[in-house]
Amino acid sequence: MTTTLEHTATSAEPRGGGLARHQNFGTAIVAGVILAWVGWFVARHLFWSGSDNWSDQVATMTATGWMIGFWIGIGAFNAPFRWLVGNDNSRDEDLYYAGYKQGRARYWKYTTDHKVVGVQYIILTMSLLAVGGILAMAIRTELIVPGTHFVNQQVYNSFIAIHGMVMILALIVAVAGPWGNFVMPIMVGARDMAFPRLNALSLWTLVSAAFLLVTVLAVGGLPVGWVVLGTISDQAGVGMDFFAMTIVVFTVSTTVASINLITTVITMRTKGMTLDRLPIFVWGTMITAVLALYAFPFFFVAELNQILDRTVSTSFYVASGGGTSWLQANLFWLMGHPEVYVILIPAVAALFEISSVMARKPLFSYKTAIGAMVALSGLSALVWAHHMFTSGWAPTLGGPFMVTTEVISIPTGIFFLVLVGTLWRGNVWMRLPTLWMFGFIFNFIVGGVTGIYLSDIPLDEQLHGTMFVTAHFHYIFVGSVLFGAIAALAFWFPKVTGRFLDERLGRYSFWLVFIGVQLTFGAMFLSGLKGMPRRDASYSLAFEHTNFISTIGAYIIMAGMLILLGAIITSWRKGEPSGPNPWHANSLEWQVPTPVPLENFLEDPVITQDPYHYGEELVRP
Amino acid sequence: MSIADIEPQSEMHGGTEGHHEDPVKVDGRQRVGIWLFIGADVVTVAAILFTYLYLRGVDTAGHWMEMEGYKGNLHTYAFWENQYLNGTLANPKAIYVGTLSAGLQWLTAGLTVVSAAVLWFGEKGLRATKNAKAFSPVAVVAMLLTLAGVVVSAIQLRDIPQIFVAVNDSITMSYTTYDSAMMAIVGSTLGHLVLLAFLGLGLAIRSARGAISGEKWYQVRLVRYFWVWVAISSVVTTLITTSINTVH
Amino acid sequence: MATSSTKRSLTRFYWAWGILTVVGVVLSIWLPHRYVPRMMSNDGNLSLTTMILFSVLAAPVASGVYAAALHIMHADRYRGEGVPPAAEPIRENTKLLVTWLTVSAVLTVFVLVWGLGALAAENSTSGNPLVVDVTGQQWVWTFAYPGTHVVSNELYVPDNREVEFRVTSLDVTHGFWVVNFGVQVDANPGVITTIHTTPDKLGTIEVRCEQFCGLNHAFMDAIGHVVTPSQFSAWLSSQPQGA
Repeated sequence: MTTTLEHTATSAEPRGGGLARHQNFGTAIVAGVILAWVGWFVARHLFWSGSDNWSDQVATMTATGWMIGFWIGIGAFNAPFRWLVGNDNSRDEDLYYAGYKQGRARYWKYTTDHKVVGVQYIILTMSLLAVGGILAMAIRTELIVPGTHFVNQQVYNSFIAIHGMVMILALIVAVAGPWGNFVMPIMVGARDMAFPRLNALSLWTLVSAAFLLVTVLAVGGLPVGWVVLGTISDQAGVGMDFFAMTIVVFTVSTTVASINLITTVITMRTKGMTLDRLPIFVWGTMITAVLALYAFPFFFVAELNQILDRTVSTSFYVASGGGTSWLQANLFWLMGHPEVYVILIPAVAALFEISSVMARKPLFSYKTAIGAMVALSGLSALVWAHHMFTSGWAPTLGGPFMVTTEVISIPTGIFFLVLVGTLWRGNVWMRLPTLWMFGFIFNFIVGGVTGIYLSDIPLDEQLHGTMFVTAHFHYIFVGSVLFGAIAALAFWFPKVTGRFLDERLGRYSFWLVFIGVQLTFGAMFLSGLKGMPRRDASYSLAFEHTNFISTIGAYIIMAGMLILLGAIITSWRKGEPSGPNPWHANSLEWQVPTPVPLENFLEDPVITQDPYHYGEELVRP
Repeated sequence: MSIADIEPQSEMHGGTEGHHEDPVKVDGRQRVGIWLFIGADVVTVAAILFTYLYLRGVDTAGHWMEMEGYKGNLHTYAFWENQYLNGTLANPKAIYVGTLSAGLQWLTAGLTVVSAAVLWFGEKGLRATKNAKAFSPVAVVAMLLTLAGVVVSAIQLRDIPQIFVAVNDSITMSYTTYDSAMMAIVGSTLGHLVLLAFLGLGLAIRSARGAISGEKWYQVRLVRYFWVWVAISSVVTTLITTSINTVH
Repeated sequence: MATSSTKRSLTRFYWAWGILTVVGVVLSIWLPHRYVPRMMSNDGNLSLTTMILFSVLAAPVASGVYAAALHIMHADRYRGEGVPPAAEPIRENTKLLVTWLTVSAVLTVFVLVWGLGALAAENSTSGNPLVVDVTGQQWVWTFAYPGTHVVSNELYVPDNREVEFRVTSLDVTHGFWVVNFGVQVDANPGVITTIHTTPDKLGTIEVRCEQFCGLNHAFMDAIGHVVTPSQFSAWLSSQPQGA
């Protein structure tokens, strides 16, 4: 890149910006609500109220109004409009959009600086985890004893779906969002992402979608399960329309973010940053982005079909019209299994990065690790039907899909080899990120091994649809991905804030969450073995003890997460100062000052070797 | 330290007033971006075609192109309901056989291909003559062609017949699975063409106002990549929908 | 990774590996027997065997990783103050990588061969099954016996004869799961899906819905009985034939 924006600013004060000066999160909400009302009002009069689809048409128009209003209000349409009329941003205006000298206000605006977007993703992830976590506590409280007592079945059924989708959204962005935006561009030696405005777009479209998803609870809920299987979701009310709109927008957000991330890695690496010197985290996020680019369009189409079914009475998934929910299941899982690796790989890649720094040792088998991530992504596109082994769809394909699924355990095994191989005989620095990394290793084994049970069709015919499955993927999502995400947070927190994440509170939090996970999901395995179906609002006396233990465990997790939240808030404000490179790491993000200046580098760095050369000779340029 | 002691990269600082960055770099970066976007769009179109072929393949209860019910449109909804409630509807129900013509899709596809050719022709002229003002009308023509495609697609969508089926003491509206899948395909084409029209209009205005100059013709090429892909996809989908449509 | 240059002892690591493996094997055998409901068909027995076999196979692998992790925490932890010095750089270990890949490939192939064999066994059919038409609707199961006009909300099947369940739904997708038989298949509206199994023990069985199906999904259970063939004929003839 050329001259930094800051250096060429013609004035110390930010100029330009135009309309953007008046656009922020507040105006976005106001405009969103106004246009949602307009959509609602127009739809009520435009469409014929005698139709069965009337309420869905009104809901879809309302949701569309909300989205468009929010985007206008935040400023997402400024740039396309100015492109259209040929009045491109001046340099001062670009500087304004990058958040130059705007203090904290820039975190509430359509700011293009990748570091601001990274922090916005941290806040968004934490908010989503909070919403999903509260719902999880409500679910576990309902299940503490048999019978319905805390929330009624209708509410419970909505809670499980919203909990599921909110948590999936949270985990998809939990590592790739904050760190793929904050540190990844610095790691490759870029001054910003390839498309800074698209970066802001992907964040704010996701925010608008997240609001809509939570609103589902207020408009009748979504009592269908998060996979929104075609037939059952046909019975759902307008919450389903909001959900479908959420997904449509969410997939657009992910696609935009993926394009941005891949382009940054391909075109913006600094001099000497060859592909075999790329930090492994950059590889991980890029592979993830490629996978997301492939997977999410299926979800987009799956939900567009659902919207058409509901608003204009098409027959994609409606059995009486000749449709089939197997089509929905196929499209959903064509996205759904790659999505699991979209969630997992960034967390694993972050842990690879952390393991080398904390063990003071080069990353073990760098190229094999990249190969494993590539293999995993490739295979994940070929395994979707293992979610449909017991659906009755294409029983003859069971064997082939069993093969592809079980082969996945080979690249997954490589992850352990790399992590353990890097730590082995290192000088392991037992700081907070390391602790969470060990938690990951422990839990990921459990989640991985139980996955093999479910990939075996004869065994899956006993375990599918039970709490065993729920326990399995919670060991992956909570026990592994969340642990990886927290390790990444503890690791890069000093780069964002200039302060360490509180070590003492962090350790309390770790032990509580770790023990809580073993109790909650360990007991949940037993509930599943005993034969308890998932998504049940109540259960028979046979499952009493294991459910009680799960609920107590969940409360312990909650206590641990609250302590972590406290640690984040207090450390952000007055934690121990860390300096720019507290871990004495070699990758580029640690070589720039903290707080990182706008555009990161005064001069473009030159790379002579990979960042894992602990104990090795330095290569001089 | 993996970075060498920071060393000035003098050639990187060649930016002049009015340029944020070297156009060649911007071009290269945006080209990667547009190819990735096209990649995601390929998957989207493939998922829509998967839907079409899947529904045709299963043909559950013979509903691909046939459905018991009465052909009509929304205005006749109340009419059929009245008939049904009065008990004056004939029994057994009439069989509706899908008659939606995929032929109009060829018109849309043709318009899209011609518009892409026009844009490409204009781009070549721009590269040769460096005359952005002369390019502007070409972009307008390309945009108008896509708008014509939008109109054709809209007509096709309007003509997809609604079917009224009597179920459980009420009349419900429905579509055959063939018509449903066609609605998604034509709708997708329409959406793409609207996007092209927006891009075409932008190119026209920008070249007229000088935002696209003879040196910065690469912006046109970026748009053209996507434009050509839309033309290809409209031809491919039309080939599939017109050659693979009946069940047997 | 223990090259000859290392002097440190790996004894603790091997001990931990061994002990954890033993614990794992014991749990692998004990937990399924303790928690899985009584299995009363050939497929159910096969599920239980598979579960135990996979667990026993996984025990040394998981224990190896655990033992290594514990060993690192104990032996490789830096106990000094401040930033630890760089360790000896080991970037590759081809022998270890090849061993690791070979072991995981062999295990995967074994699991696959076993699984595909079990799948083939499960899919094989005797040719003369008792057919039961299973219909799910929100939120009850109905069992009909073709050729007899018997319709019941309780499932009766004779032992030692193959049963074929032909499953469908009247409304949304349900999941037909006979817990004690270890078989399940979705009940889809407009489609008939089939599973078969051969009960081999007498007693009470439970049918549950394992696919979320709306408000009372949690309560969509049915009771069933595996009875002797003569009891089964007696039950059939005692049922009202009108339905």
